[in-house]
Order: sequence, then structure tokens, then C-alpha cells
Amino acid sequence: MKIQWAKEKCYACGTCQLICSYHHTGSFWPDCASIKVLRNPQNASIKWKLDSTCDQCDGEPEALCAKYCVYSALIVAADQPSEIKETTDA
Amino acid sequence: MLSSQVIKGCLAGKILRVNLSTDSVCTEDSHPHAARTLGGRGINSLIMLDEIDPHTRWSDPENLLCFGVGSLVGTMVPGACRVDVSSMSVFTGGKGSANVGGFWGKELKYAGYDNVIIQGRSPKPVYIYIEDDRVEIRDAGFIWGQTTFATEEILRRELGDDFIRIALIGPAGENQVRGSAVMVDTARAAGGSGVGCVMGSKNLKAIVVRGHGNIKVADPERFMREVDRCYRQCAEEPHAPIMRKSLTNFYTDPDFEGWDKIMVVRNGQDDYWERKKRIKLMNWETGVPSLRKGMRACYVCPTGCQSYMEIDRGAYAGTKGEGFWVNTIMGNACRMDQDDPETVVYSWILTNELGLDADYVGSVLAWVFELYEKGIITDKDTDGLSLTWGNGSAFIEMIKRLAYRKGLGDLLADGAVEAAQQIDKGSEYYLCHMKGQPSVEPFRVPKGWGLAVCTSPVAGRHLRGSTLGGNRFGPRPRPADFNATDYKRQAYYTVWQAKTKELEDNLGICNYCGTWSGANFMTLTNFAEFVNAGMGIEVTENNLMEHFAAVGRNLEKAFNTLHTEMTRKEDLPPLRFREQPVKSGPYKGALADESMYNQMLDEFYQLWGWDVKTGFQTRACLEGLGLHEIAEKLSKQGKLIESK
Repeated sequence: MKIQWAKEKCYACGTCQLICSYHHTGSFWPDCASIKVLRNPQNASIKWKLDSTCDQCDGEPEALCAKYCVYSALIVAADQPSEIKETTDA
Repeated sequence: MLSSQVIKGCLAGKILRVNLSTDSVCTEDSHPHAARTLGGRGINSLIMLDEIDPHTRWSDPENLLCFGVGSLVGTMVPGACRVDVSSMSVFTGGKGSANVGGFWGKELKYAGYDNVIIQGRSPKPVYIYIEDDRVEIRDAGFIWGQTTFATEEILRRELGDDFIRIALIGPAGENQVRGSAVMVDTARAAGGSGVGCVMGSKNLKAIVVRGHGNIKVADPERFMREVDRCYRQCAEEPHAPIMRKSLTNFYTDPDFEGWDKIMVVRNGQDDYWERKKRIKLMNWETGVPSLRKGMRACYVCPTGCQSYMEIDRGAYAGTKGEGFWVNTIMGNACRMDQDDPETVVYSWILTNELGLDADYVGSVLAWVFELYEKGIITDKDTDGLSLTWGNGSAFIEMIKRLAYRKGLGDLLADGAVEAAQQIDKGSEYYLCHMKGQPSVEPFRVPKGWGLAVCTSPVAGRHLRGSTLGGNRFGPRPRPADFNATDYKRQAYYTVWQAKTKELEDNLGICNYCGTWSGANFMTLTNFAEFVNAGMGIEVTENNLMEHFAAVGRNLEKAFNTLHTEMTRKEDLPPLRFREQPVKSGPYKGALADESMYNQMLDEFYQLWGWDVKTGFQTRACLEGLGLHEIAEKLSKQGKLIESK
């Protein structure tokens, strides 16, 4: 499973980071998420980072970050290996 | 009793108190206050009522500046990102409150605090640094005088942490311009009541927050089931994708009903803005939409209504920033008769950069433009600036003069009513204000909207209950049985909307996700379930509306009664809108009829359980809500009605 970030669709709301932390901790703890979202409001650039703690939502019926992204900015490619990456649109 | 229940989740758990006079910091438990009010603004209101003496002025060190994060902020509740900033209003002397979204509130919760209460005044400029238990009052000499945009950049560079969140003031707040905002994430303004002016009076430039902690909920599985329910409701709501794409129909339709219902033109000379000007401002080829380069959202918000703008042509080319709202059109376009897209966008971004409240700017500058038109002020008063309608460069120059207190701007900076008294020559008649708070709001066409603006506890703003007819009201199925332009049943719906807003501000939910016109996909059922599953107390929808919402509103009402001479007569629209009808357009002839407004007020007070004759609160109402100590305070001042 590979999580792909479509930067042109992202609104930088941080929901993916928060639900990721819920998966890992059972509480809302963004510092403990595998995803980090950072946005510069002055030029609208967004940094989106997925780190090595991502377990592809082990035990969940689906990838929660993609499930709760109403902007369709996260896409799950099921037959591809996971990829750890840092991406920015700046 | 509802308020004796023990809250088991959602709260960070502490109130942080910072005394700038004594350079000291302490904390207290937030649970008892939250049990009475649900949190957010309610806690701020309780503390202000308890601790601010009625003889205190807004500029005294004894005035408090209170930041209150909604109790659901930090969780997955859609749109739960809002922060209340309360203080004494610099305009009314009563309760001041402004509300803002963004990312600052959640960061404060993760740092461990629900509220921050600022007391005293620093002898020199400072900023507050909060990182979990570490709270420091630091020298701000190196950022004092900087714009909001520059301050953000400098602080990020200085502190070396991209994840900090900052609430700050700009030059306007430092200069104690009355209509100054507290800015968050550069583009989001807690604008009303002059809260930025109060922050400046305390020599406080910024509050920087970084939180590493977490928020727990009482029953996570039940809580997430309700989150899922809200996401389904959002997916089924036809307005949500519209909001996400372009905020509002103002972007797409020059005949959208809102143009005729809520736009006040040339400082109130009319409530109809010519169609060709709407098209020039908002067409997709050369208008505002052509300057919009993207959309962004606040924290955990599925509505996503924030425009990111870049001006790529003309005199203001190179300007960038977030934000273009309906109020941008109300204040900076129609009210100023300004149809140049670049000027309107630039004026908005400049207002943010200088830390001004945009409604204040639109209101007081449209007023002086009309005074210039009428010859009440002349080139001598404006230092040669020609304040003619549509003069964009004069509009921009006046914004700068206002923030930096230059010339006529210095006079306006001390308050518009005060300026009117100095200018005299009948100028106050043309000033649109409620209880001293300058306003950009309509009163003649949309009657429920006008009623809510008139009765707002923070005066002159529309977010405390304004409605725009049944087809834009409340949960589906719509429409409810009332029209925006009739007087009939407006009080009932205005009270309903005002109560849901109380809940939204105490829970921290944006009203564009909540119950107000917009995406408004959430309902009272959702609110109650989040309180039950998240906070671990048991409430019904009726409890929320009839108890907690009523407590919130009555606290602010009581503060106003104790600290000002406001009575029923101050709840009527400004005289001009009662006397001068709309001149053109589909609502030509419409007026804010005084007798009809009085009828709406009668019903409005009755619905809240207040005295119809005076507008004062009653003992029965307050004691029924458990607010015995508030009743006693009012009684001692002779401002409590003993029998209903």
C-alpha cells in the first residue's frame, strides 16, 4: 500500500495528521503521527511528510488519512509498496 | 444539576494566567468553569464577570484579555478550531469578544491549556512564549513596530521552529488604534471589540505557542462514530463543495440574492450596488476570482473556505496573502463603492498586515468619504487627499494613516463616535455604529439579520444570530417558514441562531460547519453527541439550547448591564436606517421601521426571558440558569427585574 499526496488538491487542514495520531495512540496527539503537515500562510506553500512510523494503518479496514481527506488529496495505491517521503509544493 | 457533572474528556485541563505587571505566571483547573459553560468563550465571560470591577476602563491594567479555546478543539470534530478573544470592548465599555479560526487554538490545547488570561500591563513591549509547561514573558523590542507578516517571519526565524503558532498584533494594535485585531496565522483576525487595541495597551506583541501533548475523549469509539456521521452529512450537503470551491455565490453570480439583501452601499446611502460594478469586481477573467491562486482550510475543517490571493498585475503586483470573505465585499467594496478588484484585495491584505479590523476600516472610512462628499470635511482635513467614491489610492492611503495615526487617521483611531463629536456639523448621523462599535451591517432589507446586529452583546456585528430567510436557515430540510425581508417570526429564528452560536463558540466549532448559513452540515444532535461522548457528561439538545446556550448569552448580557448604561433603546438600528429608505434596486423603499423593530424586540426579549420594557434580565431567568451570584450583582446596581 502506498500513500500518495496530491499537492494540488491539498487544503492543508491537518486532518490526515490528526487521524494518524489517533490510529497510533487512541487519542488526538499530532506529535505522534506519522504524517506532518506544515503550511506557510504567506505564500500558501505546503510541506507534507510521511515518516517511517507509518504502518499502513495496520488493523484498520482502510487507510485513515485517505478516508478522512475530503479534498481527495491522499490516494491509496493498494498494490504498491509504501514509500517514505517528504514532499513540498514550495 | 447539569453544571455539577464531572467532565472526563476534551479539555486540556488548565487555565493559564499571565500577569504582565508582576511578571508572573500561574495555572488553575479549567474543569469547574467548563462544567458551568461548556468552555471557550463561556469561561472567559465567567472570569471577566467575576474579576473585572464595573469602574474599570478598557485601557486599565485591571482589564483582562482572555483567550478561550473551544472545548472540542484538538479533536476530530469537523471545523473545531475556533478561539474566542474576550476583553472589555474599547467601543462599548461592555463585553468585548472576537472569534477566530486557524491553528493557534489547537496548539494551545496540545500545550495543555484551554484558556489564557492576561492580566496587568508590561512596562515594556513583551511577547509570551508557551511550550507545554514552559511559559516565559520575553522582551519584544526586536519585533515592536513590525507588521503582522514581518513579525511572523522574524519570530519563526528567531525561534527556529516552523511548527509554532502565533497570535499577535500589528502596528495598529501597538498604536492603540481602537479598531485593531488580534491576528492569527497572518490572515485570520479576531477583529471585533478592539481586542488588538487592548493587547497593545498591555504592551503585549504576541503569544507564541507550541504544544506537544494530546487531547483525550471520554469514549473514543462513540466519539468517532459521531465524527463519521458528520463526514457523511458533509458529503451529502450540496453547499459544502460550493464553499470549498469558491466560498460563496458572490464569486459566481452577479444576481445572487445576497447582493441585494446584505450589501450597504456608499456608507448607507443605498442598499443596492449596480450590477456592472458587481461584474467588474467578481468576474472570472479580470475580477477577484482571477487573483485567487488556491484554496486553504483551517484546522480539521472539511469546508475549506479560505482563498489564497496573489496580485499579479497593476499597482499592487507582488502582494500575496490569504483571505477574501463576504465581509471583504460588504466593507471594502460596496460600502466604499470600490469595484477595482486589485484595490479591494490589496486593501484587505494590507488591513491584515497592519493588524486592523476590516469591519472597522470599511465602516469608518466609508463614513469619512461620505463626509467629504457632503462637504462636512474638506481637503484641509484630509491633507489634500481626495476622498471621492472609488478613489482606490485614497482608500489605501487612509488605511495606512489609520494604522499609523497620521492626520485624519489619528482622529479616527481614537474612536469614530469621538471623532464625530470633534468634527460635529451633523456628522454623527452618517456614522453607522451600534453602541459605539462601528458597523458595516445592513438593517433595512434583511430584518432578522438587522435584529441580531442590533441585539448582539458585542454590538454591531452579525454573527450572534443573524438570519437571511428560511431557505438559508438551519438544518435540512429547508425552507423554514420565514422570509429575510419580512418582520414576521424573525425574533424566534434569531434567538435560535444566537443560541446555536453560543454553543459553537463554547465548543469551538466554526459556524460554516455548524448551524449557520454556509456548508452548515452539523446539527444540535451532533453537538449533543460530541459533548456526551467526548466530555463524558450527559446532555440533550434541549439542555444545550435552554441551559448552556442561555447561560453563555446571559453572562455577556449581564456584563454589559453592569458595565454600561445600555438599555432597550440602544437595541434599535442607527437613526439613519430608520429614516432614510433604500433608494434603488429590488428593495427600493425598504426601511428599518422603528415600530416593527420594536415589535421584534418585544418578542426577542420574551424569548430570552428578559424584561420587555427595559431589556434588563430577570431574577427568574438568571436563577433558573443557576446564575444566582450574577442576579445579586445586578440587583445591587438596581438593574435586575425581580418579577418576570
